[in-house]
Amino acid sequence: MIKFFLMVNKQGQTRLSRYYEHVEINKRAMLEAEVIRSCLSRSKDECSFVEYKDFKLVYRQYAALFIVVGIDQTENEIAVYELIHNFVEVLDKYFSRVSELDIMFNLDRVHIILDEMVLNGCIVETNRNRILAPLFVLDKVAEG
Amino acid sequence: MSDVVERTLSALPGLLGQHDPGAGPGGAGGPGRVSASSRLGSLIRSITALTSKHEEEKLIQQELTSLKATVSAPTTTLRLMKECMVRLIYCEMLGYESSFGYIHAIKLAQQGNLLEKRVGYLAVSLFLHENHELLLLLVNTVVKDLQSTNLVEVCMALTVVSQIFPREMIPAVLPLIEDKLQHSKEIIRRKAVQALYKFYLIAPNQVQHIHDKFRKALCDRDAGVMAASLHIYLQMIKENSSGYKDLTGSFVTILKQVVGGKLSADFNYHSVPAPWLQIQLLRILGLLGKDDPRTSELMYDVLDESLRRAEINHNITYAILFECVQTIYTIYPKSELLEKAAKCIGKFVLSPKINLKYLGLKALTYVIQQDPNLALQHQMTIIECLDHPDPIIKRETLELLYRITNGQNVTVIVQKMLDYLKESQEEYAIISLVGKIAELAEKYPFIFLN
Repeated sequence: MIKFFLMVNKQGQTRLSRYYEHVEINKRAMLEAEVIRSCLSRSKDECSFVEYKDFKLVYRQYAALFIVVGIDQTENEIAVYELIHNFVEVLDKYFSRVSELDIMFNLDRVHIILDEMVLNGCIVETNRNRILAPLFVLDKVAEG
Repeated sequence: MSDVVERTLSALPGLLGQHDPGAGPGGAGGPGRVSASSRLGSLIRSITALTSKHEEEKLIQQELTSLKATVSAPTTTLRLMKECMVRLIYCEMLGYESSFGYIHAIKLAQQGNLLEKRVGYLAVSLFLHENHELLLLLVNTVVKDLQSTNLVEVCMALTVVSQIFPREMIPAVLPLIEDKLQHSKEIIRRKAVQALYKFYLIAPNQVQHIHDKFRKALCDRDAGVMAASLHIYLQMIKENSSGYKDLTGSFVTILKQVVGGKLSADFNYHSVPAPWLQIQLLRILGLLGKDDPRTSELMYDVLDESLRRAEINHNITYAILFECVQTIYTIYPKSELLEKAAKCIGKFVLSPKINLKYLGLKALTYVIQQDPNLALQHQMTIIECLDHPDPIIKRETLELLYRITNGQNVTVIVQKMLDYLKESQEEYAIISLVGKIAELAEKYPFIFLN
């Protein structure tokens, strides 16, 4: 099960957070700070999976942005590692080469995309066209 | 695939001088990018410019005060309300609770047009939790949208139900959702199945009576709908595998078709057909074949084929191989398959790629009790990994060793664990290791006699 999905930059600023298991708001900042600290302490030669409390973090760095997914022991770390990349590829398609700014200023749209891919901590859709279809329709209607 | 282009925050002031959103979103070409001069943009810009937490608090409190006034004002348009919601989401993301906005999120979902409605639902799914008192107010809106002639609204309602819904109101929407299982559009059927999965998780007895509908979903002509049903099946089979042995043939056939490339190309990820779907199926098969020679017999072929097909050198292929190996070792043993799986583990463990090495160690830990020879085969690598610079690799190796401790090697292994404890700062890792050492000490009390 995926516990949470975070996008945090190197300065520790959270750009997106979705929790699939309820965490109190006042606990989230601390969790996110610890998580990013954990990831920042890793070198390029170390593996992309690190222990955090009694579960694991799968992280992947894109420029100054870290995408960190918290998982329990039932998940396959490399499958989640690639899910992160799939997500980025979907964002790339939608924003035409996505950047951290795109994510910051389009928080709602990035959430809408993530909602199509992960629900209840499970990976529910990975087909790029199907993920983006609902958002494309919303955009068309908003435009017209 | 293009990488994320970095526009660092240090470049932010320069960039915000222009109104250049760049290319819009692919495909539909809608309004897409919010310009940096929007209200959300200016909020983010201001926060970014600050240097201290104290200043951030002040600014956010100001923002929240302003937002509180805007959302309560009767003249606020829905469009503005939507913008406010996104800013509230942002504030909560930074850790500042904005509960005054929750009711307005629900209202936005109720009254807004498509995009506004979607943002309202999004806000509700982020703000509220399972037992929140306001959740009941969502139900009417959901019921209305489920019956909408606009399919996008139906989709949104199904999505939010899959995320958050008051358990006691399930009966109010269940018939509507069941109805959607037969919809002509795959996206509606798929989302309906996802909603039912949610219901299964929070109130399994409420969906007892529709198990035959899950079967229909499993046999749906659309792969997406079928894939959605697998989540429910995985859960049900985990709880009671014997009740679903008769479906083994179906799961095997589906996996065969996926592996054989029968799905359309847009289900591919880097030329691998629906990899996460393959992984789901492999897990289900593992559960069904466990301790059951007859059922396991049905799967040997497709497992062999999966091992063979996963030749491409991509991470996602390794993920599938890992699941294959795990399944092969979980079900009733077949020597040819075990041999191939062992070879696979060997390749992982010896790989220079650190993520693969980790996977190899994890696989070894899983299979080691069934096949202690494998540890012998790779003992040099295991010893190397004990002194690996990466603490996570070290830790995984210790996990592995813990499982093959015997009278001869326990002293060395416990010593290595103690060494690791000296370096580790991770509370949970420490607790776990100490527990293991204590266990070993009880089992082999002589390790203290030196």
